[in-house]
Amino acid sequence: MFKVTSAPLSIDEAYAAVRRDDCGAVAFFVGTVRDHHDGKKVVSISYSAFAEMAEKEFAKIAGEAARRWKTGAVYIAHRTGKLDMGAASVVIAVSAPHRAEAFDACRFAIEELKKMAPIWKEEFYETGKAWVSG
Amino acid sequence: MKVTVRLFGPLAEQAGAAQLEVVVPGAMVSEVVEAVRKAAPALRIDRAVRVAVNTDYAEPSARVRDGDVVSLIPPVGGG
Repeated sequence: MFKVTSAPLSIDEAYAAVRRDDCGAVAFFVGTVRDHHDGKKVVSISYSAFAEMAEKEFAKIAGEAARRWKTGAVYIAHRTGKLDMGAASVVIAVSAPHRAEAFDACRFAIEELKKMAPIWKEEFYETGKAWVSG
Repeated sequence: MKVTVRLFGPLAEQAGAAQLEVVVPGAMVSEVVEAVRKAAPALRIDRAVRVAVNTDYAEPSARVRDGDVVSLIPPVGGG
């Protein structure tokens, strides 16, 4: 399942989406809102996205992960809108027959997402704001 | 040909709009980008800005067909 949503993300949903009888491992990555960046206190964060294209990029990432690591299933969800401190901004879950493939494919998925998914982050500080990439 | 160009993130902020329309002489991605530069010179469209045609990244030499939507993709920050 691949989605961009303004609703809170659910790790339970991610787990249910990827757990399979032929897979002995599920690896997760959860990105959360951090309270500082380059020494500045972050007050809030807002994500915006080109949702239709981002979901297509998620599917491409999952396809490549399946090709390289024979994953069972891949779940990628990214949140948009204004997020509170500590909120999950991205949830990735990957099932695979064994843990090494699950960890490697999960790492690949977040790194690719950060490079390819058309999603933008705006950080708001006590004074000022900035678009943050990379 | 008239082409709709969608803007996102910092580019949408700079333009004060989520999209604009340009008229282009040809049908290449690079020509659409050039037309946007002329129509909106305040936009910072540097080499880090990628382009998508509909929902896929496209090279500067890719063709744009009538009805396609071109999107300017400034450096992304998901995760």
